[in-house]
Amino acid sequence: MSRFNPYGDSSGGSSLAIAGADFAILAGDTRHSTGFSIDSRDQSQIADLGDGLFLTSNGFSADAKQLVDDLRTQIKWYHHNNNDHKLSISAAARTTMMLLYGKRFFPYYVNPIMIGMADDGTGAVYSFDPLGSYDREPSRAAGHASELLMPFLDNQVTFANQLDPQTGEPRKRLDLDLQTAVDLVKDAFTGAAERQVQVGDTLEIVILTKDGVDRQYYDLRRD
Amino acid sequence: MAGLSFDNYRRNKSLEASGVLPPKTTSTGTTIVGCKFNGGVILSADTRATAGMVVADKNCLKLHRLAPNIWCAGAGTASDNDKVTELESSQLEIHSQWTGRAPRVVTALTHLKQHLFKYQGHVGAYLIIAGVDVTGSHLFSLHAHGSTDVGPYLALGSGSMAALSVLESKWKEDLTKEEAMELCSEAIMAGVFNDLASGSNVDLCVIEKGKPSRLHRGYKQPNQRLQKQRNYNFDIGTTSYFEAGSEVFYISKQSDLETSAMEVDQVS
Amino acid sequence: MSNPSEINGGSAVAMIGKDCVAIACDLRLGLQSVTVSGDFEKIFQYGGNFVAFTGLATDVQTVSTELRQKHALYEMVEERSMEPNTAAHLVSSMLYSRRFAPWFVGPLVAGINSTTGEPYVCSFDSIGSMDVSHDFVVTGTATNQLYGMAESLYEKDMSPEQLFETISQTLLCAADRDAITGSGGLVYVIEKNGKVTKKLLKSRQD
Repeated sequence: MSRFNPYGDSSGGSSLAIAGADFAILAGDTRHSTGFSIDSRDQSQIADLGDGLFLTSNGFSADAKQLVDDLRTQIKWYHHNNNDHKLSISAAARTTMMLLYGKRFFPYYVNPIMIGMADDGTGAVYSFDPLGSYDREPSRAAGHASELLMPFLDNQVTFANQLDPQTGEPRKRLDLDLQTAVDLVKDAFTGAAERQVQVGDTLEIVILTKDGVDRQYYDLRRD
Repeated sequence: MAGLSFDNYRRNKSLEASGVLPPKTTSTGTTIVGCKFNGGVILSADTRATAGMVVADKNCLKLHRLAPNIWCAGAGTASDNDKVTELESSQLEIHSQWTGRAPRVVTALTHLKQHLFKYQGHVGAYLIIAGVDVTGSHLFSLHAHGSTDVGPYLALGSGSMAALSVLESKWKEDLTKEEAMELCSEAIMAGVFNDLASGSNVDLCVIEKGKPSRLHRGYKQPNQRLQKQRNYNFDIGTTSYFEAGSEVFYISKQSDLETSAMEVDQVS
Repeated sequence: MSNPSEINGGSAVAMIGKDCVAIACDLRLGLQSVTVSGDFEKIFQYGGNFVAFTGLATDVQTVSTELRQKHALYEMVEERSMEPNTAAHLVSSMLYSRRFAPWFVGPLVAGINSTTGEPYVCSFDSIGSMDVSHDFVVTGTATNQLYGMAESLYEKDMSPEQLFETISQTLLCAADRDAITGSGGLVYVIEKNGKVTKKLLKSRQD
């Protein structure tokens, strides 16, 4: 007799986030698949939580959806209790942790990434494991292609393993400009789509600056 | 294939018994189709090879020539397909030299099915065999266990459902060559776009009575890689390395017997 | 851990440049998470052909030695050097001969054809399926990481110096995101004129 398995294998693709000095980017592909079949080519996985917060959660998609609902509820109660005060990203991140750890022994099968603008005006990326362990990071990838995306971000965002040929010292980390960061996101995903069969169709990019939110779409391969 | 060695079998079996998994092999996780038309037969395949959910080869050739007039498309385990078709093509050549006749499609089919049956499905080759011979044009499919099918149109592989949906709805009798080529490539494209294990390009082979077979490598290329946004060439000197432990040497263009003898001696 | 190809760890990558080819490997030898050695080279030279073997270390040593014997015999019998595509087919045959009891290795072949001057790279699965590539091939426990790096960083027609930087960065950053690949790197850049530059990379040792 096989036991009931509460977790399915239906899943959204991959997502990636980069934090800049005055911006934050969250990107994800819009392919949704189960096994070797495509369920949807146009399923956005970036949730707008309000208060300038955006979230992706890769993994089991039913849990991902439930986590977003939980968070929206929490944010709504926060507004009711605090005279519509805007929830900061650091507080939102802690709330996410509480929600995830609250299900310590029946976890949501997801790897969430949250972006927003921090109180000091810098772009913020927070990433979580399924149990709620979290951290603020310069960049993060999650989902099926996370293994393909992450080393590339290390190399191009934090300049890991790069020397400055002039000085022979490790190359100084300078703040990425927005255009470079968007280009990196696109190139990282076109590369991942070449090799990971679950990545493809369309890349959705949410760009957060002090001026507001910009959404861009970019075609990926569809095979 | 008398030479397969089972030397490691007991070792690997005991590793397996202690919870060790067998290694991942490259699978052609494929869409392949074949279709007859008035005057010949067509084979078509996608070009993606996968290892799990990762693409191992973006442009592999799944159409194999067994004889000048007999071709086959392979799905299943990549190396089994390569080796079994390589072997069959050699044996058909020898057979046709011996008999002094061009080989027949049923000869290839029967020979391959007897070989695969002997291995009880462990040689993971799933083939569509097509060709023209003195008895006309033929199209067969062959499963790894040795069973065979005949049909005017056939599809095999993980994308066969998608391909068959096109073939079942659009196939008709007495197709012209051009119509059959279009139908086959459309069926493969259905697999390419709807089955994750199939992808990249469409290869197509036309085999016609009295004409040399024609392989259209990259017949359709609907998934070309887009231009990258940036160039990622590094400044020279970006990577640090140890001066000691690094060296420059030359390899001789034509190594003679003496060098070879020294290499044998080098083994410690 | 229950996969023989992931007991000792290790990865390799090969890339084609303009009139040159490069092949690189890490230097780690481990027993699961414990690092045993930091100078376990996985690239072996057979005349003008460079072959990397990743996977189960005992099989790496056995197959590389068996290939040395077969390569030497070929050169003696044929009285000519072995071309890279020949070496690749030899490796493929060796692996497929053990189809039902395989060696747990994932080889790469890199070299330059001495008559045409064409660079050649090829990768294999453990039972000899050949993947001849016109850009790059990867193998080992950091396969996914290497694919991610190489797909983004690779440019066509790189000079030998450029190729060294790109293949090194590909290897190093991929190794940093795989716990059982690393402890240094080794790169060979082979040029059309027969010049080989071997470099030992500085890298994180954790």
